[in-house]
Amino acid sequence: METRSQIHARTFVKVWTGFVVFALYLPILCGALAGLSKGRYFGFPIKVFSTEWWGKTIASLEIQTLVQNSLLIAFIVTLVSVFFAFFGALAFARYDWKGRRLFQKAILLPVFFPQPVLGLALLLWFNAIGINPSWQTAVIAHLVWIVPVVTLVIAIQVYSFDPTLEEAARDLGASRWFILKEITLPILWPGIWSGALFAFLLSWGNFPLSLYTAGVDSTIPKWLYSKMVAGYSPMVPALGTMSTLSAATLLLAGGLVIMILRRRQRDL
Amino acid sequence: MGIAMISPAVNDTETDGEAAARPKALPVLQLVDVRKVFGDFAAVDGINVDIREGEFVTIVGPSGSGKTTLLRMLAGMEAPTSGYITLRGTLINDVPADKRPTCLVFQSLALFPHKTVGENIEFPLKVREVPAAERKRRALEFMRMVRLPDHYYAKNVMRCSGGEKQRVALARAFAYDPDVLFFDEPLSALDYKLKKVLEKELKDLHRESGKTFVYITHSLEEAMVMSDRVGVMSRGRLVQIGTPEEIYTKPATRFVAEFFGEVNSFPVRRTADGGWTQADGGPIVVAPAGDDIGEAATVIVRPETMRFVTGPSSADNLISGRIYNEYSLGSRMLYQVHAGERIYLVEVARAAAGGLVAGDTVTIGWDARDAILVGD
Amino acid sequence: MSAITSSATSSAQATGERAAGPAIPVGLRAASPVILLLVLGFLAPLVTVAAYAFATPKSFDVFRSFTLANFAAIVEPSNTVWTSFVWSLCFALATTVLLAIIAYPIAYGLNRMFGKWAGLVSVLFVFPLFVSENVRLYGWVLFFIKNGVMDGALKWLGFSGGPEVLYTPGATLFGMLYVYLPFMLFPMSLGLAMVPRDLVDAARDLGAGRLMIWREIELPLAMPGILIGMLLTFVLGAGAIAESKILGGQSVITIAQDIEIAFTYAQNWPLGSALALLLVVIVSGLALFMLSKLDLDRILGRR
Repeated sequence: METRSQIHARTFVKVWTGFVVFALYLPILCGALAGLSKGRYFGFPIKVFSTEWWGKTIASLEIQTLVQNSLLIAFIVTLVSVFFAFFGALAFARYDWKGRRLFQKAILLPVFFPQPVLGLALLLWFNAIGINPSWQTAVIAHLVWIVPVVTLVIAIQVYSFDPTLEEAARDLGASRWFILKEITLPILWPGIWSGALFAFLLSWGNFPLSLYTAGVDSTIPKWLYSKMVAGYSPMVPALGTMSTLSAATLLLAGGLVIMILRRRQRDL
Repeated sequence: MGIAMISPAVNDTETDGEAAARPKALPVLQLVDVRKVFGDFAAVDGINVDIREGEFVTIVGPSGSGKTTLLRMLAGMEAPTSGYITLRGTLINDVPADKRPTCLVFQSLALFPHKTVGENIEFPLKVREVPAAERKRRALEFMRMVRLPDHYYAKNVMRCSGGEKQRVALARAFAYDPDVLFFDEPLSALDYKLKKVLEKELKDLHRESGKTFVYITHSLEEAMVMSDRVGVMSRGRLVQIGTPEEIYTKPATRFVAEFFGEVNSFPVRRTADGGWTQADGGPIVVAPAGDDIGEAATVIVRPETMRFVTGPSSADNLISGRIYNEYSLGSRMLYQVHAGERIYLVEVARAAAGGLVAGDTVTIGWDARDAILVGD
Repeated sequence: MSAITSSATSSAQATGERAAGPAIPVGLRAASPVILLLVLGFLAPLVTVAAYAFATPKSFDVFRSFTLANFAAIVEPSNTVWTSFVWSLCFALATTVLLAIIAYPIAYGLNRMFGKWAGLVSVLFVFPLFVSENVRLYGWVLFFIKNGVMDGALKWLGFSGGPEVLYTPGATLFGMLYVYLPFMLFPMSLGLAMVPRDLVDAARDLGAGRLMIWREIELPLAMPGILIGMLLTFVLGAGAIAESKILGGQSVITIAQDIEIAFTYAQNWPLGSALALLLVVIVSGLALFMLSKLDLDRILGRR
């Protein structure tokens, strides 16, 4: 029952989306190629492929420290932000309280804010109160914009949560803690997992906040940037690709867990 | 059930002689001047009622009449602004829902979507730390009670049909073993046929369990079928409470009378000789006398007590008019008859209608004993 | 009547025992960790920036001096700082407009055409957000650079090589389009999801043409989402820095870079703060104005 023009529109949208997706991944692909080419300088078409630079990158002690830093920051940010955001999301979407509308808007401000400027403002603030920037301050900087994002992610799940379920459980004699354990948390699990996944990945890949607030400590994106500015080394695309692949693996694994959670909720 | 509050503000009305004779008649719930105010709006505005042990009481009212607020106060989800609610003589105004031996079946049913039918029913038992094997045994008992097959025990509750969900919700409420069960129009979302079936089942279950049921709905029809007593609410007040028979035959106000559906109503004035005349001076209406009613009142005549007459008739009132439209109600027919400025509704058995159609000239008759005189 | 309050608050009104405790609403209690974080990690830095903006230039005399010298320095014609402002805002505006056009068909496809594939396509657009922008931008450098992927491929095909696009203002704009695409796409898609299908069908049934349906039904109803996307893109674009540094080769200095220079190499915190404050005022003013017009419950919760 489609008219000719509808078919045209459909084709156009599909081709256009395909093109944009291709453009989205093209640079990531270019980086992967560069990291796998032998030789100190990049040239296309690649003459000899080799895992030489991957090996060197993995063996580098400096890079091992970076990975540890990035992991540590991402882990702490995930734990703290999920805890903050879970309650934040309840305040955002579940409870009816006087300041709710204001809170909903205030929480969006760090998201609607250029990250480099936020990083610089935090740097100024840390300096002003006499805190030396380090990976710990980077954690705080990450939290400032990741907590709002995770709050939104969990809030979307909270919106679909029927508050009478909690009332019914209470009416059947359950205590607050029992309700949280048996009703609220199990139903919100998919949202909480999504939030945790977002938190980890956003922290892992964050560049502008780490750049200004991590002080002498470095993270993967920060180190990559310093090398990019200094000149070309195949270790840059190699480490970049590794970091991207780890994120992709985590996204896939996490996505799978969330899918299973949702399915189990539907099917039992 | 751990009710810590003492000091009943209202004395137990129990007297020895009566208690022995009618143990079922003890008030299990008493409401004295219960009010709930939100801001400057009184959602519930002074309710007094005694609900007896084992009774099935239904509160009917249009949306916004305060019936849901009333129920939430009874269930412990809202605290009254003033007044007293006592359960078996114990003041429970501020006892939270989880500490009350009462249970509410929600309008949405509030079944836990991530749990099976069995786990839903077992929930209150799990709260009380009943061992798993015992929980399952009792859950199956409750499932049989509400006529759910055993193999539903492991079924995803969200995959159950509307009627099955009702039964799960009921079984879960019974598993809590409450003294009083509250129902917040749980049948409202079902189709007509299933609703009729479940109404009867609910009434059977009430009889079998001997528990006290308090039910709210906006459908008077639903209330009439199931209840021992029906209370009609309007604007936060209980306008009338009585048996379904009383509510139907002796509505206290025009509001109650009209709750059954459209009626013929005539504003009337008291005449010097104690009789009544229509306020607009129209044909005289013969109505039974009402002593407690003032100078102005309304006469209500239900469409089903009016009839079409041909030739001489014993009817106390006769009106001629022309049929404007007819509506089929299945076994009965409803006619809209225009007579002068007025419109009358007449409902008769299909067979008695004799194939009348729009445009026919007819005479309507009705008897004085079918006229209900109500104050305004 | 259906106001959702916890049973604790509702019974607190009448219970002497409970009313004695602090009457903090549950919502506020739940929000307090986040509020604390926002106050210490967002509000406090901004206040510090504002305070420094009025301090003596090139000093650290915050709260001890008050001067407008920093702002005077910004507007002084001999100074080139104001051109960074103009560049940044123009680029942000161009990014917003172009991305609205680029993202609309995709958002439409996600809602109406891709069906069961919509989830996968969304993930494809989300994933780049988890790869730091400098890595992705660097990929473009490898693509556009001399002897890079494009140049090399063209030469291999027998052409004389690719055009010089790297390290130009155009490359900066391209980088911004690339980085901020998801920020336009997802709010826009959320907005389009708010348009009930029934309305579109009803409008068609009433004889409206495609253009008319789009203008009268789809666009107005999807507007909240589209506006959020545009706001987000503009705000982030105004603070862009990596794009011009990596792809643009600093052919254009953005305002964020000027702030960075003042805060780091130049050690002129007051000037940097004044610049940051101006940017924040523009950006937050816009954000607050637009957010105040939106009902977030409806957009996120679809209630």
